Amino acid sequence: MDTLIPQENAESTIPIRDSTDILKARHRARELAAALRLGSADQTRLATAVSELTRNVLQYAGEGECRIINASSDHEVYIQVVVEDHGPGIPDIELAMRDGYSTSGGLGAGLPGVQRLMDEFHLTSRPGYTCLMIAMKRPRALSF
Amino acid sequence: MTESADFTLGQVLEIRQEELLNAWMNSVLLTWRRKYPHTAINEDLLRLQSRQLLDELRKLFSGAIPPEGWEPVPGSKIATLLYDFSVKHAKHGIKHNDTVLYISVIKQLLIRALLQDAPPACRVLNTLIISMDHVLDRLTVTLYDAYLETRERIIAQQSLSLLELSTPVVRLWDRVVMVPLIGVIDTQRARQITERLLEAIAKYEATVAILDVTGVPVLDTSVAGHIMKTIAAAQMLGAQVVMTGINPDGAQTLVKLGVNFAEVTTRATLRAGIAEGLLRVGKRIVPIKE
Repeated sequence: MDTLIPQENAESTIPIRDSTDILKARHRARELAAALRLGSADQTRLATAVSELTRNVLQYAGEGECRIINASSDHEVYIQVVVEDHGPGIPDIELAMRDGYSTSGGLGAGLPGVQRLMDEFHLTSRPGYTCLMIAMKRPRALSF
Repeated sequence: MTESADFTLGQVLEIRQEELLNAWMNSVLLTWRRKYPHTAINEDLLRLQSRQLLDELRKLFSGAIPPEGWEPVPGSKIATLLYDFSVKHAKHGIKHNDTVLYISVIKQLLIRALLQDAPPACRVLNTLIISMDHVLDRLTVTLYDAYLETRERIIAQQSLSLLELSTPVVRLWDRVVMVPLIGVIDTQRARQITERLLEAIAKYEATVAILDVTGVPVLDTSVAGHIMKTIAAAQMLGAQVVMTGINPDGAQTLVKLGVNFAEVTTRATLRAGIAEGLLRVGKRIVPIKE
């Protein structure tokens, strides 16, 4: 079975410096999901999650990087997104993962929401480095 | 010896200005025409400006060689010429590398002309070429600066005009206003949308405001937060808000995110939203009876 994404496109890195980069990152995520034949609901989920995380980078760290990785196999669609920044870090991860908690007057639904949207969610943070890894796993759609 | 010491670029230009100008224009126009077949290039103006530029170079290099570290004086003839040139071409969408090409072509031509025309064993030739290289490099930088400045101004203007265009508040019927939200909702736009909506509600004494989000590509918590604040402000002015246009994918995602618009009436389509809005002011759309 052929992989739909050429190998050279298996990973793309988007530097996050201003709000247009958020658009770029979520567009890239949606494109990849579409190319891997995920349904429009999953495309929207992935794009929204990327949007949340990259917006956090801009808001709290100023700048960072978003990597969208296609690690799909023949049996499974596996899209991983790694968002990293060198900002002040999240002081209390447990608190940050609580619904309704926000240090910026936002809705406080971002991080816990993203966790609910995704199949995998790993957060590491210390002052000077925050890394979020999320992934979406789906069984391969049958190709005809 | 005295003869070779007197050799200047000014002399070369004195004799060969027209020939160099022609070669310059041909080369530049050839490239531009190939790359920008749809851009009308005013050749006469370009030729006139280029001749003036060569005149300025001739004057600059007629006496002593310009000192090391020479910079074009802002507002001088040569700087103004380049500035105008750059601004004009930036506006016409000529790319930066093709704008800079203009100077690099004449630099090549001048260096070649100097090498050809220099008397044998000319002692000043090296100094002359180095100096000319420096001067033309500085001119390139001037050109590039002007180009960037223009482009940045264009971009700033465009984003301003986009901002102006993007948030119309429409009076749908007596006491019913509507805002179609389109595109990216950031803090600045959210503030503007809120302002316009509140103004419209006050102006038309609206009791229903329809907020259509069909054109918002991604509804994440930040966008949802902005919309909620807009809605809260509208409600404070006594308007009931009907939100329309959340698509099925968006609805699922919002629920997962934990965002609910529970206090707001929502309708799937703008059509249903308009019907609801009209109903609330005691109106409905009926077919005309024959």
